[in-house]
Amino acid sequence: MIQTLDASRRWRWILPFLGAVVVAYALLAPLTSLDAAQAINLPLLADKVWFRIATIIAMFVVLATAWNIIGGLVGYAAFGNVAFFGIGAYTTGMLIAKAKWPFLLALPLAPIAAAIFAALVGLPLLRLRGHYFAVASLGVGVAVGELVQNLDYGGQPIFGGASGLFLPIFSIDNRGLFFFYLMLGAAAIAIAVTWLVLRSRFGYGLIAIRENEEAAAVMGVNTTAYKVAAFALAAALTGLAGGIFSQWNVFINQDNTFPIEYNVQMILMAMAGGTGTVFGPAAGAILLQLLIQFLSGSLPITLDLPFVPSDARPVLAQIILGLLLMLVVIFAPRGVIDFFGGRSRLSLSYLRRSLRETSI
Amino acid sequence: MSTVATAQLELQNVTKRFGGVAALDGVTLSVAKGDILGIIGPNGAGKTTLLNCISGIYPPDSGDIHWEGASITGTAPHKVARLGIGRTFQVVKPFGSMTVRENAAVGALFGSAEARLAPKAAFVRADEVLELVGLTPKAGLSVTALTIPDRKRLEVARAVATRPKLLLLDEVMAGLNNVEIDEALEMVRAVHATGVTVVLIEHVMRVIVGVCRRAVVLDFGQVLAEGEPEVVLRDERVIEAYLGERYAKRLRA
Repeated sequence: MIQTLDASRRWRWILPFLGAVVVAYALLAPLTSLDAAQAINLPLLADKVWFRIATIIAMFVVLATAWNIIGGLVGYAAFGNVAFFGIGAYTTGMLIAKAKWPFLLALPLAPIAAAIFAALVGLPLLRLRGHYFAVASLGVGVAVGELVQNLDYGGQPIFGGASGLFLPIFSIDNRGLFFFYLMLGAAAIAIAVTWLVLRSRFGYGLIAIRENEEAAAVMGVNTTAYKVAAFALAAALTGLAGGIFSQWNVFINQDNTFPIEYNVQMILMAMAGGTGTVFGPAAGAILLQLLIQFLSGSLPITLDLPFVPSDARPVLAQIILGLLLMLVVIFAPRGVIDFFGGRSRLSLSYLRRSLRETSI
Repeated sequence: MSTVATAQLELQNVTKRFGGVAALDGVTLSVAKGDILGIIGPNGAGKTTLLNCISGIYPPDSGDIHWEGASITGTAPHKVARLGIGRTFQVVKPFGSMTVRENAAVGALFGSAEARLAPKAAFVRADEVLELVGLTPKAGLSVTALTIPDRKRLEVARAVATRPKLLLLDEVMAGLNNVEIDEALEMVRAVHATGVTVVLIEHVMRVIVGVCRRAVVLDFGQVLAEGEPEVVLRDERVIEAYLGERYAKRLRA
């Protein structure tokens, strides 16, 4: 008994420690790309590819953490959050490309536009329950993307149409480093917002709604207002990521700002990491995005997969991802975050207990 | 005239239909400030529907509900709660992922508009109401670990934490044994002693006679009898409604 306790205590620090190493590496590696660092012959830890992958990971940390506010805290399975990403991207993109606004002035309008849109569609949609809300929100996600691509005014596409929208390049030294830290800042904001919400009256109201909406209402929780506010908050954070993406990527179109698979990916990341928690969705986003990049062969460390031609690897990545997520949902429904901090340990009995919890 | 002046809660001709069934059929009653009113009646008499109409879960089809002189007919549940009307549910509805203490704190964080507390103070208030209902030793537990009587206590604690002026209790003593009923009676008296008006639905007659000053009998959505509990319970129509005509005749004989 004593021995097993000691053993678990000895290993308890492993996951948080690994997490801290990853975070420290992500924060510090970019600095080696600075001229000053290169001048004193520091090894280059972050090249162009590194920045590209790390910025995408940070972007998914924002998306999954933002989804968690409506999906994890309020328990409303929003399947159309990519609409907010696209709206954020196009708000900033249009202001820069057409109105010639500077990027840093155009960026704050991305979350605002996304939040206003979420509040407007949220008022009717959040009256729906369960599956109805999920399907309706999915419809919104698809519809907005189509509208953006197809809206014309006087024969001219308003938002660049099918050929997309080109933005002038944001001229700054170390662009890769700048946009990575910017996206990382957005991720930090998303996590901090979740942390604050969970400690506030607002957060208790949201969880009360998730657990029992009627009971929450008779306690005095304005359920409609709270749900709409949570939806708008999730949209604002998602829109912020979209706004950064538009200037980072320089080119935006329907395919890269309204991809339907993002809807599913952000939910799966939040679930794999742990819905309703502060750091779970971020952990899930980092792990799954690394896995996606690894399986599709874009990481420096890679495995040659037998029988798989290299152009089929992204498809294979999706298949393996799907299988893995089925296992996570069945055997670790509270996500990987449950193993951090020593509350639970991955063991056969843990898997058995989870299976009992998740099956009929 | 005087009843109008002192009534805190007043229902006039409240009717609520579900399809062809009138769950409430022209119910008129009033509750004075500081009263303890018992509502009894056979299953399906409309007792819970009455609470649902007052607390705003169902808008009545017709009739008026007045609270402290103003109409609250069809007002949304959260607004009714903010006006100072708290309630429990017959089928308990705890917030499953929260601890007992957090459940009670939600009541204190929201509830009556003038009594809303910030998180820190809300947890202090939560501890007070848990003490009142005797759940202090279980404050840190997950609600899923609670027995049914404890869950009923938590329903009351959560409602009391909202600092209501009127507390609507829907069968908080159903399924409790005699000892537990005595404890629950103490709990209701303790809440009432803090100046809260109480309306309680109960099947256990000992409860009605034990704490209520007045009882209203509902049958098929209508008020069948009203008055002091001992008198009402001896009313022939009431016995008939509960036990059937033949039993009532036998009692008479």
